[in-house]
Amino acid sequence: MRLIVIFILVIFIAAGVVLGALNADMVSYDLAFAQMRLPKGAALLSAMLIGWVLGGLTAWLGVSSERRRAQRELLRNAKNPPANP
Amino acid sequence: MNLPLLLGALAPAAFVLGWWASRRVGARRSGTAVSELSSDYFRGLNYLLNEEQDKAIEVFLKLAEYNRDTVETHLALGNLFRRRGEVDRAIRLHQHLVSRPGLSDSMKTVALLELGEDYMRAGLLDRAEALFTDLVVMNAHAPSALRHLISIYQHERDWHKAIEHARRLEVMTGEEETPMIAQFYCELADRSRQHGARAEARDYLQQAFDCQPDCVRAFMLTGRLQAEDDHHIEAVQAYEAAINADIAFTPEILPPLLNSYARSQQMERAEVFLREMLSRYHGISPVLALTHLYRQRDGERAAVDFLTMQLRQRPSVRGLMALIDATMDKIEGEVRENFLILRDLTKKLLEGQAMYRCSRCGFGAKAHHWQCPSCKSWSTIRPIHGVASE
Repeated sequence: MRLIVIFILVIFIAAGVVLGALNADMVSYDLAFAQMRLPKGAALLSAMLIGWVLGGLTAWLGVSSERRRAQRELLRNAKNPPANP
Repeated sequence: MNLPLLLGALAPAAFVLGWWASRRVGARRSGTAVSELSSDYFRGLNYLLNEEQDKAIEVFLKLAEYNRDTVETHLALGNLFRRRGEVDRAIRLHQHLVSRPGLSDSMKTVALLELGEDYMRAGLLDRAEALFTDLVVMNAHAPSALRHLISIYQHERDWHKAIEHARRLEVMTGEEETPMIAQFYCELADRSRQHGARAEARDYLQQAFDCQPDCVRAFMLTGRLQAEDDHHIEAVQAYEAAINADIAFTPEILPPLLNSYARSQQMERAEVFLREMLSRYHGISPVLALTHLYRQRDGERAAVDFLTMQLRQRPSVRGLMALIDATMDKIEGEVRENFLILRDLTKKLLEGQAMYRCSRCGFGAKAHHWQCPSCKSWSTIRPIHGVASE
C-alpha cells in the first residue's frame, strides 16, 4: 500500500514539473488591492493548494466543534444524571 | 480552456479533496476507526462466548492484519490457538510478540507468560519452567508464574520445589496455601513410607499437621504407618481422628480401621464407634461394617435382621448386594437361580457406576484420588451419596 502511494506521488510530482516547464509564461492578476505576475503553473498549483487547505480547515473546524459539543453534553449529563424511568 | 476557468474548476475540486482528507484523519484520531475496530472485537468476543472459535479466529486474524500494533489482539489470538490445541501456532505468535522491537516491558512480560503457558500445553516443561522462573525473578506476573511453576513441579512430582514455591506464593499473595502444602508433605511421607524410611515419613507427616492440623490424609497415613508397625491401638486412634476430621472419607477409612480394631481386639470399641457413626453419617459403609461385625459375633441371623432394618431407612444397591449374599446360602432351586441373576445384575450396576466425584469440576472416578486428575485440585474428590453408590 505504501509503495503504491509513493508511486502515485512520484507520478504527480513529475506531471507537476512537466506542466510547470510547459507553462512557464507569465500571467498577471489584479486582486483589487494588489497586482501580481505569476507563472501559469505556479498559479495553478497555488489555486489547488489554497483550495486543499481551505477544505481541510473547514472539515477540521466542523469536526472539532462537533466534538466540543459532545463533550459539553457528556459533562452536563455527568453533573446532572437523568432520572431513572 | 482558458486559465481562470481551469482555476475555477480545480480549486473547488482541491477544496473537496482537502475536506475529505481532513475528515478521514479526524475520524481516525477521534476514534471512529477505533469504534470500527471495537465492533470487530466485540463480534469476535461474541463468537467466543457462543463457542464458535473458528469464526472468532477469523475475526481476530482480520483485526490483527488491520492494525499490526494491537498487541492485545495478538494475545487473544494466541490464547485461542492454544485453547484449540494449535499450540505450535500459539507458540509462533507469542514468540513473534516477544521478539518485536519497541514493545513495552509490561506487554512483553504478558507475552512471556502466555508463551510459558503454550510451552506447558505442548509438554515442553523445561522451557516453561525457565520462562516462569525468569518472570518470578523479574517480579512480573509473579503470582501467576508461581502457580504455573507449582503445577509443573506437581507434574514432575518434585514436592520439595512445589512446597518452596507454594510458600513463596503464600507470602506474595497473602492467600492461604497450607492445605495444598500439607498434601505435598503427605506425598513426601507416602514416598518415604514406600521406600521404608519410616522416621522420615513421620517427620513429613508432622510437617503436614503443622500446615493443616485436621489433614485427613495425614491422619490416614499415620494410621497406616502405625498399622504396618503393628501398633494397632495407635492406628485406631489415627483412623478415628481422620473420620472425625472429615466424615466424608468414611468409605476410605473404614476398611483399615476395622482391620486395626480386629488386630487390637477392640471390637466393643468398634461397635460403639460404628453405632455412633450411624447417626452422623448417612452412607451405607458403617451399616455394612456393623453387619460384618454382628455376623462374626452374633451369627448370620442377627446380621441379616440388622441389615434389613437399616436398608429400609437407607436404601442402597451395595446394601442390597450384601443382603443377597447373606441370604444365598439359605435358598435353593429356582429361587437361588433368580437370586444369582439379581446378584449379577446389581454387580454390573455397581461396576459401571462412578463412586467418587470432584466437588470442584464434577470429574467422576471409580477409585479415590487425592488430586483430581481433571482439574488438579487437592482433596476435592469425594464419595457420591445415592442409592447406587455410598
